[in-house]
Amino acid sequence: MPPQTAGASAATPRYETQLLPNSTAQSVHSATAAEISGGRLVAFWYGGSREGAPDVAIYTSVYSLKEGTWSPERAAMTRELAQRHLQRYIRKLGNPVVGRDSKGRLCLYFVSVSVGGWAGSAVNLMVSEDEGETWSPPRRLVASPFFNISTLVKGVPLVFSDGAAGLPAYHELLGKFGELLRLDSEGHVIGKMRLSWGQSSLQPVIVPRSDKEAVGFMRYSGDPPNRIVMVRTGDGGVHWSPPVRTELPNPNSAIGSVLLSGGPLLLAFNNAGENREDLSLALSADFANTWRIAHRFEGGSGSPQAPVPEYSYPWIMQDRAGDVHVLYTWGRSRIKHVRFNRAWLEGRP
Amino acid sequence: MISANTIAGLFGCGLLGLAAVATAIRLRRLPVRARYAVTLAAALAVFVPIGGLSIAACVRSVTGDLSAATLVLAGAACFTQLTGRTLIEPRDKHALCWLFALAAAFLYPFALGWTRFDPYALGFGSVEFITALLLITLAAWVARLNLIVLVVVVAVLAFLGGAYESRNLWDYLIDPLVSVYALIRLLAPRSVYSSPLSRSA
Repeated sequence: MPPQTAGASAATPRYETQLLPNSTAQSVHSATAAEISGGRLVAFWYGGSREGAPDVAIYTSVYSLKEGTWSPERAAMTRELAQRHLQRYIRKLGNPVVGRDSKGRLCLYFVSVSVGGWAGSAVNLMVSEDEGETWSPPRRLVASPFFNISTLVKGVPLVFSDGAAGLPAYHELLGKFGELLRLDSEGHVIGKMRLSWGQSSLQPVIVPRSDKEAVGFMRYSGDPPNRIVMVRTGDGGVHWSPPVRTELPNPNSAIGSVLLSGGPLLLAFNNAGENREDLSLALSADFANTWRIAHRFEGGSGSPQAPVPEYSYPWIMQDRAGDVHVLYTWGRSRIKHVRFNRAWLEGRP
Repeated sequence: MISANTIAGLFGCGLLGLAAVATAIRLRRLPVRARYAVTLAAALAVFVPIGGLSIAACVRSVTGDLSAATLVLAGAACFTQLTGRTLIEPRDKHALCWLFALAAAFLYPFALGWTRFDPYALGFGSVEFITALLLITLAAWVARLNLIVLVVVVAVLAFLGGAYESRNLWDYLIDPLVSVYALIRLLAPRSVYSSPLSRSA
């Protein structure tokens, strides 16, 4: 599908939307993306006949920033391939997230389950030295002493000031809580910091502002009122503030966030307390102290509705040229890509 | 190509499978030659992949990599069933069960998110954790509780050698299987528990 464009010049407002290719999977979910060399983005998501089905694979597609088009999707990891490399029975695949380590390598983390539901998840890592052309065999990350299960990922990987990789993770076996894992250059978990505890917060997204300061947002799954959960650190992630509920609603759904170069802080989230029919963009000029709603990606009267009106799992990032890209699950059947520039953002009321 | 970490993990899970089979069929009641023949056949069944995965790999899918405590008990069970000789004294095993029941009570509820405190994070090289482990091991050595000393030494050597994918010392010391085993041994009357490991090791 060609992009629907509302502007094309870098100096003028630009806002484009398009659906990513999907030639086989009836159900897709949980997109992630990173910028790669040659003016491109690479995206990953999982898809299959339904969530949790044995035929679910991790798919990938490459986007040309210049041409504004996505390449046909292909499978980057299948259940059978993961099983062979990990030497473990793999029942299903789940959330992928992609990022870079301190050496600049692309790191693709993905969830797999051997037994049970998502609470039985573990996280695996593949590394690419050639911008995603080829990948190392997956290796298992060990992040829990209890059969190493119940660890999942959704948030953007980051790099600590000492070069260690940071991976926001969460658990949902008996408790639902967020953690930040530290990984060495070989992808071993060498430390972890707890972001929350108990049974009501998951899927942390960490947004650093400096070597020391960062804010984190989490999906809320507890009793009403349903609000996005927030934590902060002022010492490089060694200590985190107790989680607090913000004023922003959260219908037990994932959040995406990015700090634009030069500000502001952006947050893509479901702006409703009960469902995922509205996906909005909030903006904070004071690093998450106050917010204003800048845009509705979905749920407005003018936007075409998906067969299943559910818009979820946003992934938001900024490319080197300054454009912002949002990828999210569109009606569980497609991944949607929204691209806009600062001129468009500054023109929002 | 299978990594050294994977081989170590598969070996541990295979050893547990062998111990379970040997104890379940009461191997030591068989003639000596039959014991070794059965063990060889069981080893082939456990380690040789069928349809891409071995039984050891299937066990590993559920249990993850096994701790030194489980491996020492499983190895002792295999030895006993093969030779008819008992390696572990009841006093040693009782002390080990107490230690691991307490360790499990300290580790798992908190590691699963009960509070902000996460004892599992101490296993990534905390000085306090290593000091406590050293003191416990020294106390066990003085009390001639050799099984505890052996388990800790094996765990630390495997940890330092990076035998598994984990870089957390807890994963080399303890796992849920040995924790449940310890609890059952401590809570159930002696006539009730009939775990394969308990009968043989």
